[in-house]
Amino acid sequence: MIELESITKTYLLGKENVNVLNNISLKIEQGEFVAIMGPSGSGKSTLMNMIGCLDKPTSGNYTLSGENVSHYSENELARVRNQSIGFVFQQFHLLPRLSALKNVELPMIYAGVSKVERQLRAEEALNKVGLSDRMDHLPNALSGGQKQRVAIARAIVNKPKIILADEPTGALDSKTSTAIMEQFRELNGEEGVTVIVVTHESEVAAYANRTIFVRDGMIQLPSASNRGASE
Amino acid sequence: MSFMENLLMALSSLKAHKMRSILTMLGIIIGVGAVIIVVAIGQGGEAMLKTQITGPGNTVELLYQPSDEEIRANPNIFLQAPFKQEDIRALEQIPEIKSIVASSTQMSSVRFQQETADVSSTGINQAYVKLNEMKVEKGRSFSTSDFLGGRRVGLVSHVIQEELFKGKNPVGEVITVANQPIEIIGVLEKPTGLLSFSSMEVYLPFQTWRTIYGSSDFTQVTLQADTSDQLESAGKKAARLLNNMHNTEDSYQVLNMEEIAAGIGQITRIMTLIIGSIAGISLFVGGIGVMNIMLVSVTERTREIGIRMALGATRGQVLTQFLIESMTLTLIGGILGIFLGWGTASIVSFFAGWPSLISWQVVLGGVVFSMVIGVVFGLLPANKASKLDPIESLRYE
Ligand SMILES: Nc1ncnc2c1ncn2[C@@H]1O[C@H](COP(=O)(O)OP(=O)(O)O)[C@@H](O)[C@H]1O
Ligand SMILES: [Mg+2]
Repeated sequence: MIELESITKTYLLGKENVNVLNNISLKIEQGEFVAIMGPSGSGKSTLMNMIGCLDKPTSGNYTLSGENVSHYSENELARVRNQSIGFVFQQFHLLPRLSALKNVELPMIYAGVSKVERQLRAEEALNKVGLSDRMDHLPNALSGGQKQRVAIARAIVNKPKIILADEPTGALDSKTSTAIMEQFRELNGEEGVTVIVVTHESEVAAYANRTIFVRDGMIQLPSASNRGASE
Repeated sequence: MSFMENLLMALSSLKAHKMRSILTMLGIIIGVGAVIIVVAIGQGGEAMLKTQITGPGNTVELLYQPSDEEIRANPNIFLQAPFKQEDIRALEQIPEIKSIVASSTQMSSVRFQQETADVSSTGINQAYVKLNEMKVEKGRSFSTSDFLGGRRVGLVSHVIQEELFKGKNPVGEVITVANQPIEIIGVLEKPTGLLSFSSMEVYLPFQTWRTIYGSSDFTQVTLQADTSDQLESAGKKAARLLNNMHNTEDSYQVLNMEEIAAGIGQITRIMTLIIGSIAGISLFVGGIGVMNIMLVSVTERTREIGIRMALGATRGQVLTQFLIESMTLTLIGGILGIFLGWGTASIVSFFAGWPSLISWQVVLGGVVFSMVIGVVFGLLPANKASKLDPIESLRYE
C-alpha cells in the first residue's frame, strides 16, 4: 500500500548537499501498525512528511495505493492528504479560535462536504474519541490529552486509509500517552486503518507490530522490516 | 469550498481581532466616505447652479453691449435704458415668445416719516411677477388693475420692513419714492437660496414707475418660451430684430444659458476631479494599510496556514481565503464609509441649503470599488500565504 523506492531527500546547506533521507526503500501494508524510531535529527519527521505527501522526494519513487504519487502536482497531493492521510502532531496543531467541533470539521470543508453532514460526522468522530461532552470547547479549555483526541478525531473524520502520528505522545504524561496509544490501537484493530507512529519511547513503540529504526537518513539494519514481512 | 463558507471564515477571523480590523477599515471608511461626500455635494451643487442660472421657466435675458464705436459716438450710452416701448411691441410679434418680462431700475431716495434710505426702485410689467415668483409674506401682490391703472402702490422687500419700519408691519403705510407717495400693499418674502441676497428694494407697476421717473424705457428684458428649442430661435430672432431697429451691428445679444450651464458643469467637474483624486489617494493609502495588516496577519497565522495545507487545503484555497478576508474587510469599511458620507453630505447640505444627491450608482460604485480595493491590496498578502511551505509553516512558532 505504501511503497518507497530509493527515496532521497537532499537539502542544500550553504554549498554542501545534505542527504536528510538517503536511499530509503520501505513497504508498509494496509492495516499495519508501524513505529518509527531513531535519534533526533535522523530524518524521521522528513520521512513522515514524505509518506504524508507534504514533502516531495529529491529522487526515488513513492507509490501509494498503487499510484505513483512522486510526480503528482501540488493540488493532487493536497487531495491525497485530504482524502487518504490523517495527521496527528506532537504539538496538536489545533486552530486556537475554533471549537473542537469546528476543528474536526476542517478537513471536510476542503473535501466539499455539506455543512449539515460535516457537523454530523464531526460529532461522530468526537464521540469515537470520547469527547462528546467537549465539542464546543476551544482548544485552550482542553487538557493535552483532550487536545490530542480532538486532533485524532480530525485525522479520522475523512475516513483516511493512513494515520501518521509524529511523536503524538511527546507532550503528554505517561498515563495520557497510554490512553492515546489505546486509541490508535482501537482504530487500527477495528477499522483496519494503517497507523504509523514516530516515537522515542519504547512503551509507545510496543503498540506497533513492526518497528523501523532510522539513523542518518537511512533505515538501520538489522531492522525489523524483514520480521514484519516474515510474520 | 463555497463563497459563503469563506465569508463566514473571514468574518470570524476579523472578529478575533476587532480593534485591529476597525483601525484597518478606518482608511477605507474615510476614503469611501470622502468620495461619497464629494460626489453627492458636487452633483447636488451642479444641479442647483444650473437651475439657478437657466431658471425653471425657459427664459433668456437680452443684453445690450454697445460696440467701441458706439461708445465713442455717445459716451453717455450706458446712462440710457436700451429697450424702448416700440422694441417691446416689436418683440411681441415673434411667435415663439410666450411672454416678455420687462423692468427698469433706478436708485432712489425713499422716505417714511423721518426715515430715509437709498433704495433700488424697479418698475415691472405683469409678466415679471409670475416669472420671478414674487411671493408676499404680508399684504397682497399686484393685481391686473394695479398694472393697467398705474396705481400708486408698491411692494417692498423684507429688509425695508426691518430698516425703514423698524420691523413694524408696513402694509397700508404710505412712503415717498422719489418724492411721490406710494402705498405699500405687501412685503415680499425673504429670498432663500445660496445666491440670493436681501437688499432694499421697492417694486412698482411699470405705469406708476413711468410717471415717477418720466421714462418709458426698460433696462432689463427677459424672454420666455415654451421649450428650450423655441427659446433659442426666439432669442436669435429678438437680437436680430433689435439690432435692425436700432441700426446696430451686434449690440443686442442673448445670454447663452446653455454655454453658462456647461461652464458651470465644467467647473464642478474639475472640482469633483480634484477632491475626488484626493479621496482616491486616501483610498490608496487605506488600501496600503489593508495590505500591511494582511501581511502581518499572514505572518502571524503561518502555523494556521500550514495546518490547513496539511489537512488538504490547496494553495488556491488558501489564496481565496485571504483574498476574501481582505475583501470582507474593505467591503465592511466601504459600507460604513457610504453611511458616513451619506450622513455628512446630508448635514452639509442641510446647513448650506444645498441639495446633495446620493444616487444608487454612487452607492453601488462605493461598494464595488471598496471590494476591488480589497482584492487588489489583498493579492500580495494572499499570494504570500498561498506560497508558504507547509512543513516550515507547521514548525513556525
Ligand atoms: N528545510 C530544511 N533545510 C535543511 N535541513 C533540514 C530541513 N528540514 C530538516 N532538515 C534537517 O534534516 C535532518 C532531519 O530532520 P527531521 O526529519 O526533522 O529529524 P527527526 O524528526 O528525526 O528529528 C535534521 O538534521 C534537520 O536539521
Ligand atoms: Mg521530528
